[in-house]
Amino acid sequence: MRDFLPRPAIAPAAVWTFPTPRRARLSNGIEMMIFELPGQHVISAHLVLDVPLNAEGRDIEGVATICARTLDEGTLRHDGDEFAELLETEGAGFGVDLSLSGLQAVLDVPASHLDRALELFAEAVTEPSLADRDVNRHVQLRLAEIEQAQANSSQIASIAFRAAIFEETRRAARMNGGEPATVRQVSPQAVGAFHHDHFGPAGTTLILAGDFAEDPIAGAERSLGSWRNNDQRRVVAEEPAAGIRRMVLIDRPGAVQADVRLGGFGIDRLDPRWSAISVASYAMGGAFLSRLNAILREEKGYTYGVRMNFGPLRTGGSFAVQGSFRTEVVADALAITRELITVDQAPFTSQEVDDAVAYFTGVSPLRYATADGVADQAATQILAELPEDYVDRSLALLRSVTPDAATEAYRSVVNPDELTLVVVGDAERLADPLRATGFPDLEVRTPDFEETQL
Amino acid sequence: MWGMTSGAPTQLGYPIVQYTLANGLRVISSPDHLAPSVAVNIWYDVGSRDEEEGRTGFAHLFEHVMFQGSGHVASGQHIALLQAAGAVVNATTWFDRTNYFETLPTGGLDLALWLEADRMSTLLDALTQENLDNQREVVKEEKRQRYDNVPYGDVMELLNALTFPADHPYGHTTIGSMEDLDAATLEDIHAFFRLHYVPNNAVLSIVGDVEPDDAFERAETYFGQLTPGAPPTKPEAGPLGPLSGTPRTETSGKVPAPALYLSWRLPALGGRNFDAVDLAFSILGHGQTSRLHKQLIRRTEHAESAGASTMGLIGGNSFGFSYARARDGISPEQLEEETVELIDQLLTDGPTEDELRRAKAQFERHWLHELARVDSRADALGEYATLHGDPYLINSRIADITAIDKDEVQTAMREWFRPEQRAALIYRQERS
Repeated sequence: MRDFLPRPAIAPAAVWTFPTPRRARLSNGIEMMIFELPGQHVISAHLVLDVPLNAEGRDIEGVATICARTLDEGTLRHDGDEFAELLETEGAGFGVDLSLSGLQAVLDVPASHLDRALELFAEAVTEPSLADRDVNRHVQLRLAEIEQAQANSSQIASIAFRAAIFEETRRAARMNGGEPATVRQVSPQAVGAFHHDHFGPAGTTLILAGDFAEDPIAGAERSLGSWRNNDQRRVVAEEPAAGIRRMVLIDRPGAVQADVRLGGFGIDRLDPRWSAISVASYAMGGAFLSRLNAILREEKGYTYGVRMNFGPLRTGGSFAVQGSFRTEVVADALAITRELITVDQAPFTSQEVDDAVAYFTGVSPLRYATADGVADQAATQILAELPEDYVDRSLALLRSVTPDAATEAYRSVVNPDELTLVVVGDAERLADPLRATGFPDLEVRTPDFEETQL
Repeated sequence: MWGMTSGAPTQLGYPIVQYTLANGLRVISSPDHLAPSVAVNIWYDVGSRDEEEGRTGFAHLFEHVMFQGSGHVASGQHIALLQAAGAVVNATTWFDRTNYFETLPTGGLDLALWLEADRMSTLLDALTQENLDNQREVVKEEKRQRYDNVPYGDVMELLNALTFPADHPYGHTTIGSMEDLDAATLEDIHAFFRLHYVPNNAVLSIVGDVEPDDAFERAETYFGQLTPGAPPTKPEAGPLGPLSGTPRTETSGKVPAPALYLSWRLPALGGRNFDAVDLAFSILGHGQTSRLHKQLIRRTEHAESAGASTMGLIGGNSFGFSYARARDGISPEQLEEETVELIDQLLTDGPTEDELRRAKAQFERHWLHELARVDSRADALGEYATLHGDPYLINSRIADITAIDKDEVQTAMREWFRPEQRAALIYRQERS
């Protein structure tokens, strides 16, 4: 055996900070943030609209999604096929993103094509035709998409979980794209009205990131600066609230695995416990050798992977242990999970805290090295009302987390005896073992969430 | 302007330097100091095409074993140590390769290289039956989660079987079968490691905040002592011609909509004819202006989704496919008829100049995106060095694609992408 070198030490990381944007304001009040990123040949443009999903009428939820998806199906100047052809000829990609706190239209385009692509992008957002036929088609496609989701174990679990952990009247309890009953009610008139009432320059931000061929402000002013909407209505984002604890088993007869969600209502990034909870959740279910994954995957071989995630919203949020386990071991996996997530006798250690801090600190430069990575984060911060230097601040706060603070924050949010459980799998084989494992009040349901007897 | 693009194609000039160690390990360096991070990426020239009969899924199972410890690293510690250095770590297995990669702050580069070298040389010292059995279960869970428990999860397997003979290197999928996974033994792992996991069968790419001389010196330090193996022979798979006799399969399952899948045998990666036929697939089925989208989604509204793309492979042939999911009341046969008609039109008239320009513009953005991050750039370098023997090609891909004209697309289609050269898979809804 030849000599082997000892394991090398890690040299200290160079100082890194999140890029600082240049700011500008278009003549109609749109705020601009420009991130100059050398070497990033694909420009990422995000137009962030302060339109929370609770702006939708309760009976037509899904209207924001249909509206956003129909934006690039033709404009007042160019019909559908022509518009798409113009955009794709520029090598541009157009997309939309809908979250509870707001809407985004997103453009990716090689830097040399930015000017022309931005004009087309602005057309789609400010003067889409939203034609009857296109709206109706997108309604049908959304309904088909829901059917796809209801055939997918993991998606069924996520949908049922949000329905349980958020108080049922709140928008957060229902799918962002709307549920079948309300999507069916979305008409072309409703979509036109939604665009007319909510799309406008007030409260809107344009984020541009990349290696620009020329200063992009003039082009942005030409494309978006003259957009006006005197009828634009601003809606205050609704705060979600916690639902009542439930234990739901959704039946997929014959399924070889079960998807599990075990969790509850959580906290947001502005909560003073956020950095401590980030550390705790990484140690519990974020790292490869997290407490959960080390046992359930690496020791037991029960799963391809199990995680604990905290999903922050603008206010409040959610958290869950989630994974997919073969049917035979689901009850045992849950019993082990409940033990592991109870930290009273096993507080987080300084090693766990150090590892978490090193991980979050180390991955940041890579995560924010590209145009879309930076623009995406800047947009997230706007929608969550976080400061411009949020990433730097949060990394500094992370470094001050102590093991006690991590344990304390975790215990204040995660009460293992009060968690909501959603399991999607073969109910005939799962119901009794789950009841015997300490989930006696199981409700058994079908994938479209109708109650069933078992 | 109508039909005109507003800028010239982007000229790329990523710096690329190569160096081969005495043991045959090829090292590629591409410095980029914009962020204090470095990507380490190893391509081993082994994939599911190298698997033996009765051992499908083995290359992928082996990939999992690579994280179970080595001579100086405890089980699971490879990822744990790297994550604690701020790294994003993973590995993937595909038909033509297995790649292992981590991206981390520059100060962890030595650790990453040390860990990779340790498992390249001493993996077998740490391997136990218990570790193998555990990862076999994990891989079976992965198969259940990603294939067996999702709608349409068996499509890839069925298309492979339709497109290539069962004993062909591409005749089975990378995930393999449960029976073969169960049959894998410790001896198999030993033999596989000795044959394929040798420095002269790998490419190490180091991209990011480190200069070439420095990168090569570190590679020499950690990998220089490793002994080479006999160069593995690649599976014999002479190029097959296009499919004939339009083979068909029907299946049914708990799926939300009936669906149609068509597949073609295509030329191998690396020639202009592959690039040309790839553009034809893009024109048929990529994006909102593709012929499939315009016809099936927008005009007839017979499909809820539709598309076409190629899967480039190096061993004699590649693979191309199209799909469409039916709206209510539409049969897969109807979708097949409409798809065939669209291909016929494209074949007869050729693409329009505008279509070709769009397909090239979309390729350009996709390629620039691919190279925008140090980790995916490192992976592209590994791919081009391993499969094509030339990492410098990443800088000329856009020019290569731009140079292909309409006639070449039509010629490639006539040879490889005719409707009668298809295989068809009809997916029906199981009625309960």
